[in-house]
Amino acid sequence: MASNGHGFWGDLGQLTRAVGRAMGVTLRNLGRKPVTVMYPDAPRPYPDRFRGVLALTYDRETGEENCIGCRLCEYICPPQVIKVEMLKAEKRNWAKTFTLELYACEFCELCVQVCPTDAIIMMKSFDLATADRREMLLDKDRLHAIGLTFEPSWATGNKLRDMQAPPKPAKAAAGKAPPVGATPAAGAEEKAKETAE
Amino acid sequence: MADVEARHVIELGYGGNERLIMNMGPQHPSAHGVFRAILTLEGETVVAVDAVIGYLHRCHEKLAETLTYVQYPSIASKTDYVSAMTAELAYVSAVEKVGTVEVPKRAQYLRVLVAELQRVASHCLWLGTWCLDMGGALGGGATVFLYCIRERELILDLFEALTGARLLYGFHQIGGTRYDLPAGWTQTCRETVDFIEGRIDEYEAMLEDNPFFLVRTQGVGVVSRELAQDVGLSGPLIRASGVGYDVRRAEPYSSYEDFDFVIPVELAGDCYARYRVRMQEFRQSIRIVRQVLDGLPEGPISSRPGVKSVGQVRISKGEGYGRVEGARGEVGCYVVADGGPKPYRLKWRGASFSNLAILPHIIPGHKVADVVAIMGSVDPVFGEVDR
Amino acid sequence: MPPLAYQALAGFILLNAVIGMVAYVTLLERKFAARMQSRIGPYYVGRPHGWLQPIADALKLMIKEDVVPALADRWVFNLAPLVFLIPCVLIFATIPFAPGLGVADLNIGVLFFLAVSSLEIVGLFMGGWGSNNKYALLSAMRAVNQIISYDLPFVFAALIPVLLAGSMQMSVIVAAQQGLWFVAYPVIGQLAFLAYVVATLAAENRVPFDILEAESELVAGFRVEYSGMKFALIQLAEYAHVLGTSFLGALLFLGGWLGPGPAWLGPVWFLLKALLIFLLVTWVRWSFVRIRVDQILAISWKLLLPATIVLLLATAFVVAAGGPRGI
Repeated sequence: MASNGHGFWGDLGQLTRAVGRAMGVTLRNLGRKPVTVMYPDAPRPYPDRFRGVLALTYDRETGEENCIGCRLCEYICPPQVIKVEMLKAEKRNWAKTFTLELYACEFCELCVQVCPTDAIIMMKSFDLATADRREMLLDKDRLHAIGLTFEPSWATGNKLRDMQAPPKPAKAAAGKAPPVGATPAAGAEEKAKETAE
Repeated sequence: MADVEARHVIELGYGGNERLIMNMGPQHPSAHGVFRAILTLEGETVVAVDAVIGYLHRCHEKLAETLTYVQYPSIASKTDYVSAMTAELAYVSAVEKVGTVEVPKRAQYLRVLVAELQRVASHCLWLGTWCLDMGGALGGGATVFLYCIRERELILDLFEALTGARLLYGFHQIGGTRYDLPAGWTQTCRETVDFIEGRIDEYEAMLEDNPFFLVRTQGVGVVSRELAQDVGLSGPLIRASGVGYDVRRAEPYSSYEDFDFVIPVELAGDCYARYRVRMQEFRQSIRIVRQVLDGLPEGPISSRPGVKSVGQVRISKGEGYGRVEGARGEVGCYVVADGGPKPYRLKWRGASFSNLAILPHIIPGHKVADVVAIMGSVDPVFGEVDR
Repeated sequence: MPPLAYQALAGFILLNAVIGMVAYVTLLERKFAARMQSRIGPYYVGRPHGWLQPIADALKLMIKEDVVPALADRWVFNLAPLVFLIPCVLIFATIPFAPGLGVADLNIGVLFFLAVSSLEIVGLFMGGWGSNNKYALLSAMRAVNQIISYDLPFVFAALIPVLLAGSMQMSVIVAAQQGLWFVAYPVIGQLAFLAYVVATLAAENRVPFDILEAESELVAGFRVEYSGMKFALIQLAEYAHVLGTSFLGALLFLGGWLGPGPAWLGPVWFLLKALLIFLLVTWVRWSFVRIRVDQILAISWKLLLPATIVLLLATAFVVAAGGPRGI
């Protein structure tokens, strides 16, 4: 046995104390409330920024689809799961088709971040399980339907971009103010660097 | 297949023995991932170890050549998936070094904050799985495992409130971080960290003087100082062998020089010493977290505008090596940039890859049961090993 | 009713009772362990406490495919669960649950119990050898070492109450505890009980001495190739053995069916005391990591065996000095 050189009785005393301490910890935990959350019977509280299922959104005022088919999300997606076809029109462009392969999605939120119109967002739910993988190949209708079913996450493209680089003071009034206090000078510097890119 | 030099066979003079070749195969409860160890046994004693890796190879380095600097940090977290924040940090700090990109002070402090929280979470997982290996899925090991996972869940909840994800974050970007702290997060973080510190006392009470634990870990898998330096270990392994080398002290990155913390060093070099080093690292990480929260400056979290397009970051020609102290050791990334939005070549130095090289040197001579104790104390993550 | 038919009926009832008790004792262990680990344990099958979980497990094991490895030694492989099970269930035959309520209250009861319970090692080794699997073989090798080493201190620790009571018949041992339970005897009682519990842990392959199944190294030890009903029989046998030694411990040290209240409450007290020992064993199991087989053997031969021999001699002196029925 591990010996600390205290002799037989010293070792035996140490053994008894250590055994008692370890068993005491387990006994103390016997009295604690279990940490189990009985999901799905009990709802799981999602934080504001939860990255769940992806969805397409409609404009709040006009009810039109937000997506302009710019394909920025398609280009930035690391596993290339988004495929978009643009439909050109006079006033604005639309997305003719929009497919997202949810089974290969990494949930990295980069598509949400680049979207200029906050069209694609993530929901506060991860109820993704289906019996057939083909059901996870989401087309535009499914994506819009998901957008209406669950609660959206706080994070949209504009908010994420604003958080990462604070906007000019003029823009800071609109939308959620970024939680980090940015001085106007710093914001102007960012904008200058941005235009120089 | 067998590398003759690494196959360190001990001749035990057994006389009339029969050598049994047992495969601790890629599918094994204690393989810590996918790892194949072909053990040659004489009775209960291991006389040779043949380690086979590569079961988790996913071509990270080639993948990095096809993804831009904006896209890759999310992927970088998948090398050391248990300690994702430090893996991403290795990549972005390498690219920032090559492109001489400034990182604002607040972003540096945030990076330190998440790296240290991640270290606590990773060590929680290490302790849990190591005790699970040693104590059995139906036994005391499982108890310590569930306690550690319970505490790790608290840190993952913190990360979930910060980024939205629990394991693979995509938190870092070139020039800073992607997310800032939401309202009320610092308060929750402080409470969580205080709570976990109390629970670490409980783990120590369960394990510290426990003769069952001591007899399993003391004197097992002794790595001498010379061997550690020869093989190229890093992280808690080399600090347990008496070498006080920590990248955060040797080459401070991301404002680590602003913080006051101790680098724990043990001399024994056995599993127990590695355990002690990591337990002390728990406390030191919590200490750093508190200092960061106290001294967090205001300011932007990125020196570049928010991610708007895939080719937005271009790094001029150059090459450089950025390294960080991950939970397992020195995680490094060597980037060769050619002026475009994608790196020309990327090379990962995985801490676990170098750490695993110690196994053929220290396992022979031990019993089969010690193999799991040693592997657990080396704490490999095969995302880093195979990339 | 002729005595043979009576005993056969009693045996049949006891067998079913043992199987039922064993099934629900696994549920008790799972809930107890879960609470110690901040979780709930079986819940859904028979809400809210998982009452139907053992039945669900039994049904599942019955309908599983019975796989026999191609190169396994068929007779040895197929017979091993039975050879493992029969001694573990047979030991219950000698335990009286109340004065006169038992299948066979032999006058060599304790000796029969100890002798038969050590026969399980044969079944264990048959399982390990017949599986044609290196992990199983390694586990069986360790098992033979360990169980043989710990049967000796187990026997000596169990003999101390025999000395104190002056008889090997179990009902006589309980009757001798009318005044004072054997565990309460000044020093000898506690040490003997402690030695008994430790030897039990090791002889039944419970953590911290469960190196032979060592889920994290050998996956399931000698049981690894078994599936379906054979696996069920092995599990049954293991838990029956634990329960049997718990009953024996309650009988030898904790006064068996003695307790306040009317006589018919006796078996209830007996069951509660046996469950107390079982929970103690479970509590130890879920608190410690396991130790290596050479360290296990070192504990047995260097610590436990000399200690129990010394205790036995001391008891013998005390008994000789104080009279035939102890202090």
